[in-house]
Amino acid sequence: MDKLRYYLSVASYSMKLSMKKQLEYPMEIISCFAMIPMMYATGILLLYFLTQNLKSIGGWTFPQLAFLYGIGDLSHGIMVVFSVQNWFLDRYVNRGEFDRMLLRPLNVFFQFSVSYVNIIGIMDVLVGLSVFIYSCVLVKFSWTFSNIVRLVVIILGAALIRSSIFTIFCSVAFWTKRCSAVTALMNDMLERTTLYPMTIYPRLLQLMLTLIIPVAFISFFSSCCFLGIDSSFRLPADAAVMTPAIGIITFILAQAVFNWGLRNYESSGS
Amino acid sequence: MIVISADQLSKKFTVIRREKGLKGALSSLIHPEKITVNAVDNVSFKIEKGEIVGFIGPNGAGKSTTVKMMTGILHPTSGSVEINGLSPFKDRKKVVRELGVVFGQRTQLYWDLRLGESFELLKRIYQISDSMYKANMKQMDEVLGINEFIHIPVRQLSLGQRMRGELAAAMLHSPPVLFLDEPTIGLDVEGKHSIRKFIREINQRYGTTVILTTHDLDDVEQLCSRLIVINHGRIVEDGPLQDIAERMAPYRFLVLEIASPGIGIRHSLADTVRQNGNQVWLRFRKSEISASRLISDLCYSYPVLDLKIKEPDIEDMIRELYKLNDKTGSGVCN
Repeated sequence: MDKLRYYLSVASYSMKLSMKKQLEYPMEIISCFAMIPMMYATGILLLYFLTQNLKSIGGWTFPQLAFLYGIGDLSHGIMVVFSVQNWFLDRYVNRGEFDRMLLRPLNVFFQFSVSYVNIIGIMDVLVGLSVFIYSCVLVKFSWTFSNIVRLVVIILGAALIRSSIFTIFCSVAFWTKRCSAVTALMNDMLERTTLYPMTIYPRLLQLMLTLIIPVAFISFFSSCCFLGIDSSFRLPADAAVMTPAIGIITFILAQAVFNWGLRNYESSGS
Repeated sequence: MIVISADQLSKKFTVIRREKGLKGALSSLIHPEKITVNAVDNVSFKIEKGEIVGFIGPNGAGKSTTVKMMTGILHPTSGSVEINGLSPFKDRKKVVRELGVVFGQRTQLYWDLRLGESFELLKRIYQISDSMYKANMKQMDEVLGINEFIHIPVRQLSLGQRMRGELAAAMLHSPPVLFLDEPTIGLDVEGKHSIRKFIREINQRYGTTVILTTHDLDDVEQLCSRLIVINHGRIVEDGPLQDIAERMAPYRFLVLEIASPGIGIRHSLADTVRQNGNQVWLRFRKSEISASRLISDLCYSYPVLDLKIKEPDIEDMIRELYKLNDKTGSGVCN
């Protein structure tokens, strides 16, 4: 219990300092705030125009697609707030930032995880939330207590899956000193695979996106659960159990890969 | 009591040799020519509690790599290092709690925030109690004058103020061992003075063991009871500065000003090394003849107007030491 309180006090103060740091440069935040809604608008508009012409994609109507996209967006927003530093893991490596973390009597992965809170990401969450609520209206989502609880754990689990995928792949920076290409690749892959229902892809790809990189658990299975659509997979449990469970498993794996990379860390000159 | 012991510590880095031009870049992509660099090569030493040890050596000699291995940032390729009997890799968290570390070229302070906010974070990380924190901050203020600029963002501090802030940050949790990597780099005379005063003070007051790397020989002369000279990853000299000086440069010089330029000056126990008009330089060994004896001999035989004694320049001596090692290629390890 004391240990938990200790970690929480360090985490909250470290995150607070990181936010204060960004508020020193407000213009950057404002300009990004203006950009982000446009980025999301293109996604939802794409789905809208596609369904206008095709009536449905893989059997999914526009409201259902919007719901899928909404869960994807919201989990992306939360990930962008709390763990966007994964994208820039190579900077931490090249600037020797892990030196300092290694000198402190705390888990390095923990220090890395709490070293940054992205204020700009709050806009991602807000936009994601509005897209999601809009889609909930479209599909006539029933706001019962149990549905809300299921939704919250699913979205948190989905954010954890996204963040862990980035940790795992960006840890390549410990060996190669670069990860911006991997970051871009993963971002593209995640956007394309969470925008459409998994069923439009060939079976092999579906299996890969379920078993190898568990993208399907981010929004596809949970949307199927809520909307009563057949996912063509038999899950052992409800999405509200599966998504957070897969989130925790990938998170544990991510830590292991990160620590493996850290052992390979060579610091930087001087 | 031995605080730090390094036993045959080695660190090898593998680098790929790049050749010139696009063709070279391509060929090193296909056939990378790997070169192993011995950054630190079989280094052994022991450091007692309360010592102030200076690590010196030219750039790239392996000083920082040695410090990084002692503090657990880098894993040695072979050999071992122990701090208070514990390995900084296996028991990292336990070991680093006992360490304070300052990298002169890199900051641990939050660049955009007030200095005090970085201290607040450290207070939480090291679980320093409120009363302890207050007492430590008061002491830091007494010695380093921290309160003067604690409310200023770090980016607006002068280098001297920032370095004082770094030292305070490193000592906030009262670690018994302090590592300083080039703590006086780029500082003015006043800045260097206050840093040295601080180091002496904590060493005397708390018996803090201090390991510092530096290029500034004044740091070494004024602070260090012991000097470890590293070159090409090996220990070249290890001992008190005076001993090394005596061994390396046993000579002193007597500079005479004589009445007329034409006189040739000779003495059986001193060499005339230079004669410029009225000025004559004689080199002699302390062990062979005392300065007073030499002076009285010469004054008796020659028309001496004025004289002074020059001690060997430590800087010259160190330069000799670096060069010596370059020529032989292998260390004169002892």
